[in-house]
Amino acid sequence: MSPLKITTRDAPTGPVLEIFGELDYANAGELRERIAALTLQPGQRLVLDLGGMQFCDSSGITALIAARSHVQAARADIALAAVPANTLRILRIVGLDQIFALHPDSDTAIRS
Amino acid sequence: MCRTGQQPDPHDPYDPHDPHDTGDDKAADAAFAALLEDSAEELYENAPCGYLSTLMDGTIAKINATLLGWLDMEREAVVGRMRFTDLLTVGGKLYHETHFAPLLRMQGEISGIALEIKRTDGDRIPVLVSSVVKRGGDGEPLLIRTTVFDARDRRAYEEELLRGRRAAEAARGQAEADRARLQDALAVLQQSLLPDTLPSIPGVETATHYHTASPDRLGGDFYDVFPLDGRRFAFFLGDVCGKGPKAAALTSLTRYTLRAAALHDPDPVAALTTLNKVLHERYAGSGDPRYCTAVFGTLDPDPATGQLTVHLASGGHPPVIVLRADGTACFLPTPGGQLVGVLPSARFTPATTVLAPGDTLLLYTDGLTEARTGPDRTSLYGDEALLAFTAGHGGKPPHALIKALTGLLDSFGDGLDDDTALLALGIPAADHPMRNTR
Repeated sequence: MSPLKITTRDAPTGPVLEIFGELDYANAGELRERIAALTLQPGQRLVLDLGGMQFCDSSGITALIAARSHVQAARADIALAAVPANTLRILRIVGLDQIFALHPDSDTAIRS
Repeated sequence: MCRTGQQPDPHDPYDPHDPHDTGDDKAADAAFAALLEDSAEELYENAPCGYLSTLMDGTIAKINATLLGWLDMEREAVVGRMRFTDLLTVGGKLYHETHFAPLLRMQGEISGIALEIKRTDGDRIPVLVSSVVKRGGDGEPLLIRTTVFDARDRRAYEEELLRGRRAAEAARGQAEADRARLQDALAVLQQSLLPDTLPSIPGVETATHYHTASPDRLGGDFYDVFPLDGRRFAFFLGDVCGKGPKAAALTSLTRYTLRAAALHDPDPVAALTTLNKVLHERYAGSGDPRYCTAVFGTLDPDPATGQLTVHLASGGHPPVIVLRADGTACFLPTPGGQLVGVLPSARFTPATTVLAPGDTLLLYTDGLTEARTGPDRTSLYGDEALLAFTAGHGGKPPHALIKALTGLLDSFGDGLDDDTALLALGIPAADHPMRNTR
């Protein structure tokens, strides 16, 4: 089992979190804590780059929803980049593909 | 009185430089001298342990006052008249004969043996006995010297240890009983989240299966079937996020909200919209998003045609499967339906189908399709495999389909690590007897 690794960088639009490994019941809480600790300015955009994410279960989906709530409370914006096919399929089933802005990669997510 | 360096001898009374040459010191020296005059005989008699010497046959030749005091006996009654074993309890005598004496003969000494001595009043004193054989110049054994230590404190300590151990064992037994009771309570709670029995629907057979992944973590899957009015029935099946008591509370809220909402307005989109409002109001802003996915539907049997019209809507739930009598199986698409409880106004997608005799509608939770089929966490059973499996059971009544799917779930073994709920509704073909199973 590959553990979760999260790296953060600052883009002109706001923070970009890159997520590597598995986002599951055991460690989704880590992402939720990281995001809860982020301070966002109104109008900023939080980008979650999921290109390195190997697995995401319902706890991972809940973490993405929690991230969206946190961002909305700060009157900021959230975008997902490089969503793996498996996760994209789950997002479509639960209708979250209509809620999250989806981008092929984080560079596009920053520019658009 | 430990001194180092160039200090003068403190015990030299003539040393003019001795700073301790005071009246107090002189008194201490006198007391020390008195101790030195204490005779070996006095020490023997009143030592803090019992002493006795016996001949090789055990006859007591000498015994000190301490031991006589413990025994509450007179010296005259003991010396030359009793053997060491006469001082012991019956059990002690036996142990002395079988272990103590042979070992002493063999080794010439033995130490720390726990025995009990008997007082004249019948009371017993636990003691620790050590003996050594005294030999003459030619190695011939002459007599046995024995010390007897009062072990009452030690026995009390051991009893305390035993009592502690018994208390720990009792606590462990209590913890195990509590755990069993908690398991029972969880099982009852889990049962309360699912219907005891499903109602009998004229011409329709229902079958269900619920797989619990862990008895400790209350499941988050749910289903129900219930009457709406004299003709129609409603059903739902879903999956709440998370596990454990919080998920169970959410499941309970979801189940009873859907039941009440359906009685108010049985339109599937309306029922899910009501549920969404209730969950969003309850959990939004709590910082802990809670939601569910669900399919809600109504059944409208037509006795004239023997057909069953199904209206349903999905809120973020995997699409249901329609299995026709001829073995064709397809998903009933509900694209774009959103999970329930997260968005202030969520979108739910309706769909309609008509079941004829031999047709079955299958609802399931993603425990089934997300079951691992390989060593990799991403090798999942999947939608298409489920569709193909279901197609293989065309024309069979719902209980046969559920039985086959239960076998499929069992075949996943450890790969099935989530709760799974199955609900099949159908009209059995004329050549299959109808029954409702759970």
